[in-house]
Amino acid sequence: MNMVMDSRSLAASQPGAVSLREDQLRLGLWMFLATVTMLFAAFVSAYIVRRSGTDWRQVQLPAMLWVNTLILAVSSVALEAASRSGFRLRWRQAELAMGAALAGGLGFLAGQFVAWREMMAAGIYLPTSPHASFFFVITGAHALHVVAALAVLTWGAVATRSGATDVPAWAARMELCRTFWHYLGAVWLVLFALVSLY
Amino acid sequence: MTNGFVRRYIFSTDHKIIGIQYILTGLIMAIVGAWLAVLIRLQLGWPEHQWVFLSRLLPKGMPSGVMTPEFYLAVVTMHGTIMVFFFISYVLVSGFGNYLVPLQVGARDMAFPFLNMLSYWIALLSAVVMVLSFFVEGGAAAAGWTAYPPLSAVASAVPGSQMGQTLWILSMALFIASFTMSGLNIVATVFSTRAPGLSMMRLPLTVWSFFIASILGLLAFPPLTAGAVMLLFDRHFGTSFFLPSGLVVAGKLLPNTGGSPLLWQHLFWFLGHPEVYVLILPALGIAFDILPAFTRKPVFGYRISVWCLVAVGCLSMIVWGHHMFVSGMSPFTGEYFSLVTLTITVPMTIFGVNMLASLWGAKLELRTPMLFALSVIAMFGSGGFGGLFLGNATADMQLHDTYFVVGHFHMMIGGVTLLATFAAIYFWFPKMFGRTMNETLGRLHFWFTFGPFFVIFFMQHFLGLQGAPRRYYAFTAFDYLRDTRGQNLAISIAALLLVSGQLLFLVNFVWSLFGGLAAKANPWQATTLEWTTASPPPHGNFETQPVVERWAYEYGVQTTDGDFAVQTVPARNVPVTA
Ligand code: HEM
Ligand SMILES: [Cu+2]
Repeated sequence: MNMVMDSRSLAASQPGAVSLREDQLRLGLWMFLATVTMLFAAFVSAYIVRRSGTDWRQVQLPAMLWVNTLILAVSSVALEAASRSGFRLRWRQAELAMGAALAGGLGFLAGQFVAWREMMAAGIYLPTSPHASFFFVITGAHALHVVAALAVLTWGAVATRSGATDVPAWAARMELCRTFWHYLGAVWLVLFALVSLY
Repeated sequence: MTNGFVRRYIFSTDHKIIGIQYILTGLIMAIVGAWLAVLIRLQLGWPEHQWVFLSRLLPKGMPSGVMTPEFYLAVVTMHGTIMVFFFISYVLVSGFGNYLVPLQVGARDMAFPFLNMLSYWIALLSAVVMVLSFFVEGGAAAAGWTAYPPLSAVASAVPGSQMGQTLWILSMALFIASFTMSGLNIVATVFSTRAPGLSMMRLPLTVWSFFIASILGLLAFPPLTAGAVMLLFDRHFGTSFFLPSGLVVAGKLLPNTGGSPLLWQHLFWFLGHPEVYVLILPALGIAFDILPAFTRKPVFGYRISVWCLVAVGCLSMIVWGHHMFVSGMSPFTGEYFSLVTLTITVPMTIFGVNMLASLWGAKLELRTPMLFALSVIAMFGSGGFGGLFLGNATADMQLHDTYFVVGHFHMMIGGVTLLATFAAIYFWFPKMFGRTMNETLGRLHFWFTFGPFFVIFFMQHFLGLQGAPRRYYAFTAFDYLRDTRGQNLAISIAALLLVSGQLLFLVNFVWSLFGGLAAKANPWQATTLEWTTASPPPHGNFETQPVVERWAYEYGVQTTDGDFAVQTVPARNVPVTA
């Protein structure tokens, strides 16, 4: 706990350039997430509107999606672990956890790809039913955002590798990574619930 | 050396250069858009006339010199798209937003300079894609700037719905990406880089208007992105998001089932309506701020005006259905949209009245920027008056898709923004380029702009009341519209006058760039921070960090400079009003 306080206050003890930049990046990220929220809100409401069409037919979604959800959750936990280890200045552990988080992200993408292939193998394509159309478009849009977030996570991982040298900068990057990554996890839960329950 | 030039003026991250790049790009797009307007007016004013020289210029669109109906649709579509998204958005919002916001908040640059540069280059790419779409098979998109499906979703529906429509969608996607980046930048800049002492309630209204417009853009544009993706999938991958069952196009039954064309209309207008406020708020903010420099007294109702902008911003997100009164929506929904639409006129009117009240008792100096700013008030009032009729669902049943609408939205999204753009250019030209524009040419340009513009769109209201539908290629086939021939001719002549009048501006602009008189740091004796630094401002904007002591409207006081106090004058010299 003491260590946590130490590196946190270290981060706070350097006002000026770093902390202004930090504020700006945090603000920028939150605004970006607001626009992403509006994007998915539009997809969700379009889904709800279109669902009342007479030709709506629910398609069978692959069980793989549950595995992917689990992978994404584990990846989020790993990211938290990385951040905690870093604040305790255990850099080796932090690196490993960051690696696990990144691997989880890649695994999720691969898993989504497998899920799409499974659906197509079962004869479900984009035009098969509006449910299928929405499934592919919405999960595709989510996957694209995951790709962007993985780029940010990589940037965080790079900072973790040299974390000991500049803790405030590392902490700032990690905060952005965590916000973005957990946000996309939450969005996934909402989307997954939507396409499988409604 | 060339390398330095490229870094400084081409791939620059300086917000001033980027702002000017946006403005120049937008002005070039305006020339394209105006040229399209001329084509529209030639067709409507002189239907069936053979323009031989045009047939040589446009062998496909105007073989034998008469425009084909398909080409007319493409021209109307591209005129609207280019004027809204590539002229006004670029010049007024991105251009002046970029140029003014960091200067007026006393910052060295935008919060994210690199992102800013990226946003400009994507914007340019988007404009290029849009213009190139004229030259692909089938020509440019022809489904209107609102791109309603099924017309926009089925390639065989109209020639423009082939490749042209796809490029239209791609270009819009690029536009949205770029506009989002630049909006994000403006909001972050206002939040995080304000000079010491510059509280939100001391910001010039110009900054407030860009700030709110940017937030609106950030929240309203993504849903259209979603819509554009779905439209693209309907066009190319066989989905039926927007395509209904039983659709027969060009004699063939389409395989699609169950899609909802109305879904697109909701997604489009959820963007479309806030977008018109994204354009008009900066126009109003700029006009509001230009007035006091020429009345030499503080503005009336600054705080209330700020809250009006905030209220308009919020309300504008929930009124989109007023574009869809005739879409078969339930009367209760229609009632709701009528109610909120009429509610939004309250803060808008308060804002307008504040501008009028700012003039009360002042001796007006009618310099060019002031003429344009005053005409903003006039145009805003007139266009808004038409809006009152349209916002009423019962009246709108009659007026929808007539020229009444065309007259209305041109006064607002066309007139108010155009006049404010010119006001801004004449006002800040000395700051941007260190030179002064010619006053005589400027005033002449004002009368050639405001006069014909008002006549054109005032008359179009009455065309609409006589039942003339919009987007029609010609009215010759309708008995009940026979009497409108003369009116359309008059409108066309006024439009040609308007367009020729813009040559005065072009000449003045180019001539002043190179030969205008050198401008002082504060030629208008105005109070905001950009006037405290050199014209043009150096890289980094300010020699020393400005410290703000007061609001932006300290006129009618005594200082060594004259009858005004810039925002940095300390309280011990002049008492602080706000
Ligand atoms: C040079 C002065 C202008 C003239 C003469 C002009 C004329 C016209 C005409 C004749 C139409 C076609 C109406 C129809 O048949 O549907 C039109 C449509 C339109 N104009 Fe303009 N216009 C001008 C400037 C502007 C400006 C500055 C803007 C925006 C900032 C603008 C935005 C639009 C829009 C959005 C449409 C609707 C297009 C559609 O519904 O497909 N115009 N204009
Ligand atoms: Cu509207």
